[in-house]
Amino acid sequence: MQLLPMSFRPSACILVVALAVSACTGAGQPAASGAPSAQGQPVAGGTVTIPIGADPTLNPWSPNAFVESLFINRVIFEGLTKPGKDLAPAPDLATSWTIAPDGLSWTFKLRDGVKWTDGKPFSADDVAFTFNDIVLKKELGAQNAASYAAVKSVTVVDPTTVRFDLSRKFAALASFLAYNSGIVPKHVLSADPLKTTSFNKGTPVSTGPFKVEKYTSGQSVSLVRNDSYFGPKPYLDKVVFTVVPDPNTQIAQALSGDLTIMILDNKAAVDRVKNASGLTVVSRPLVQYYWLALNQTDSRFTDVRVRQAFVHAIDRKAIIKSVELGYGQVANSPITPALKAYFDPSLSEKYPYDPPKAKELLAAAGWTPGANGVLQKDGKPFQFTMDVGQRGVLEPVNALIQQDLKNVGVIADLNTMEWNAYIQKDVVRRDYTATVNWWTYPSDPDVFPYYHSSAAGKGFNIPGYQDPKLDDLLVQGQSASDLEQRKAVYKQLQAYTSETLPYLFLWYPQEIDVLSSSLQGVPELGLRDAVQYIGEWWLAKK
Amino acid sequence: MVVFASALTFFFVNLAPGGPASVMRFDVSAEQREALIHRMGLDRPVPERYVEWLAAAVRGDLGSSLLTDEPVAQRIGERLPNTLALAGSALLLSVGAGIPIGVVQALRRGRAVDHVLSLLSAVGLAVPVFWLGIVLILVFAVSLHVLPSAGVTGVASDSLGDRLAHLVLPAVALATTILPTIVRFVRSSTIEVLDEDYIRTATSKGLSPRTVITRHALRNALIPVVSAIGALVPRLLGGTVVTEAVFGWPGMGRLALEAAQGRDYPLVTGLTVVVAAIAVAASLAVDLAYTRIDPRIRLT
Repeated sequence: MQLLPMSFRPSACILVVALAVSACTGAGQPAASGAPSAQGQPVAGGTVTIPIGADPTLNPWSPNAFVESLFINRVIFEGLTKPGKDLAPAPDLATSWTIAPDGLSWTFKLRDGVKWTDGKPFSADDVAFTFNDIVLKKELGAQNAASYAAVKSVTVVDPTTVRFDLSRKFAALASFLAYNSGIVPKHVLSADPLKTTSFNKGTPVSTGPFKVEKYTSGQSVSLVRNDSYFGPKPYLDKVVFTVVPDPNTQIAQALSGDLTIMILDNKAAVDRVKNASGLTVVSRPLVQYYWLALNQTDSRFTDVRVRQAFVHAIDRKAIIKSVELGYGQVANSPITPALKAYFDPSLSEKYPYDPPKAKELLAAAGWTPGANGVLQKDGKPFQFTMDVGQRGVLEPVNALIQQDLKNVGVIADLNTMEWNAYIQKDVVRRDYTATVNWWTYPSDPDVFPYYHSSAAGKGFNIPGYQDPKLDDLLVQGQSASDLEQRKAVYKQLQAYTSETLPYLFLWYPQEIDVLSSSLQGVPELGLRDAVQYIGEWWLAKK
Repeated sequence: MVVFASALTFFFVNLAPGGPASVMRFDVSAEQREALIHRMGLDRPVPERYVEWLAAAVRGDLGSSLLTDEPVAQRIGERLPNTLALAGSALLLSVGAGIPIGVVQALRRGRAVDHVLSLLSAVGLAVPVFWLGIVLILVFAVSLHVLPSAGVTGVASDSLGDRLAHLVLPAVALATTILPTIVRFVRSSTIEVLDEDYIRTATSKGLSPRTVITRHALRNALIPVVSAIGALVPRLLGGTVVTEAVFGWPGMGRLALEAAQGRDYPLVTGLTVVVAAIAVAASLAVDLAYTRIDPRIRLT
């Protein structure tokens, strides 16, 4: 069960991980059926208040729809599918879908009788417009467009049927459609799909269970129940997103009872919040992993023994304990434990923290201790710069890694940079040697964009790792037709990536959510996924 | 002056490493990035863009925000009143409290009261606003439940009283950025004036101490203080950046922070122009105030 008791000790969980991995993995997962966590019968009424860090952009495809926009866009807009409580794609605006035998076209049957909040009917035209005129229009630079590189076009078959034609097999399509891919209204946005500010910063026309009542820049966005929503009537009357940029102020607001639910980014505050009355603290799995990328254009890092040595040298459990207060698991592949159907827990002890082993592997790769203990090869010391982006936990993590590497004779100099400048240097220009960061991806094991050799140097393949065998596995995963076949391919892919280490996998973080004890019916998912079930949330009367 | 500030800002923000946040995202593909840069016109040379911006700006058009596509003037217009309300109350608070405190310290120079107040203002100077802000929220909103924690209005209410209640904590926090400086100025200039001959004359004329202080001493002591306040206005506006972030106050300071982090070039430039104009206006106001307080100064 995911609802952790107040006495939950993260350090205890770490111990359990070390002893019996599967047991703790089980404890960190939501129940498959999403069993209701609440006692009693749901009651209608009330307002839920959720903090966001900045003004949102209410259009899922706008390049300016940053993380603060995700919450609201996932509540008001709906995709053809949405993430099920087991994170597998579930019906939303589409009720069913079929795949042609050649795997190159998918036909989606749309829900009948859905209305936009302005009363106009929703139809296949809106779906075709969203994809053909926004996502697939390269010159618009729509957000998330890269996820649909395999889609050629979307055709209206009849008002309640659309067909996606693909250039290659793409087994993850239904999962990707559940991820920030809300359908937007053609009749409102056809003039300017991404820059209509009365929509993006006002009261957009939408189909979800709530609709925007008022957008007050810099202060809040309030949503009210959408009475023309096709699904069951939500229990809540209103959902208010308040703009609170400072994370410490968010915590203070939760303590003073001004917020109903929030993500606790600063895990150091977890004890203070746990001891407060009226608040419940829960941990949730995320589809996210932290990694250390070693630029493959640097010949020192193309030797797999060096990469393996680094993973042995880095005390990942200590990192989890120190920066995540135990809310996380050691990672050894890109498939996270949140993807229960695919995750292979047998790999979790593959690289124990073992500095002597690291030194052995480095020696085998030709790196031997020189003067003052620093490793060297051909007279050159093993020294390089790690770029550190100023965001989240990256700064302390880099300091810990630097220390661990130093212990095996490798000198990493840290170069800390403001986030925006960091992205330009390390991601856009790929002008870096080593850097730590994380990936968050749709709830599907298709990690093609981050690992395929075609994405090296310019796409999301940050280390620039190129390996025909890995490419082959990635394509097989996209071509597999049924779940069992996909599971088999991605099990192989996990084993292979944990051996070859295209990225050095660090850890799978968990999210800590703080919620008012009166809030019930929230599924055991990360908050950004749980808001897609906001119709089931309710507030117990005090 | 203002044009100079705009040119400097325009070139510097464009020179800063990075680019608009929509482009400098981790999860944006190279193809998407190129399309966006082209759409925003950022593939054109900076001088060309500046000339275009300036030509529009003199007609009152500050361009559109790269992050929201809304006109810059509109975005600033939405936020300016909030910042003026916050900075104005903080200024009133620090002047209102700073003058009496400074005078008391001057009159009780070297005594316990003076030492305690000096220590307090040293602490006030040293305490960072973001820390003080959080402490104020924890004490008055979380523990005592007497004041709201953040924002300009409550979720449900929007009355004047509610707005004033929301203003108290951020105004107090912001006031501490300049209050100690004002106190020190008032103290030292009052001490100086108290040693002047005309004060001794006034006292020996048999005037009551109160009259001596208010009519003679304070009037002269305030002259350097007024010019100090003029110089403190930019510091006050700088302080709004942190204060507004801590208290979720939708003002220009927070907007400036977001604009700078997101490399929203037109918005950063527009904000600088407005702030430069305010600073110029403040120093003009100080010059005018001089002529009222000190009849020796005349505008000719």
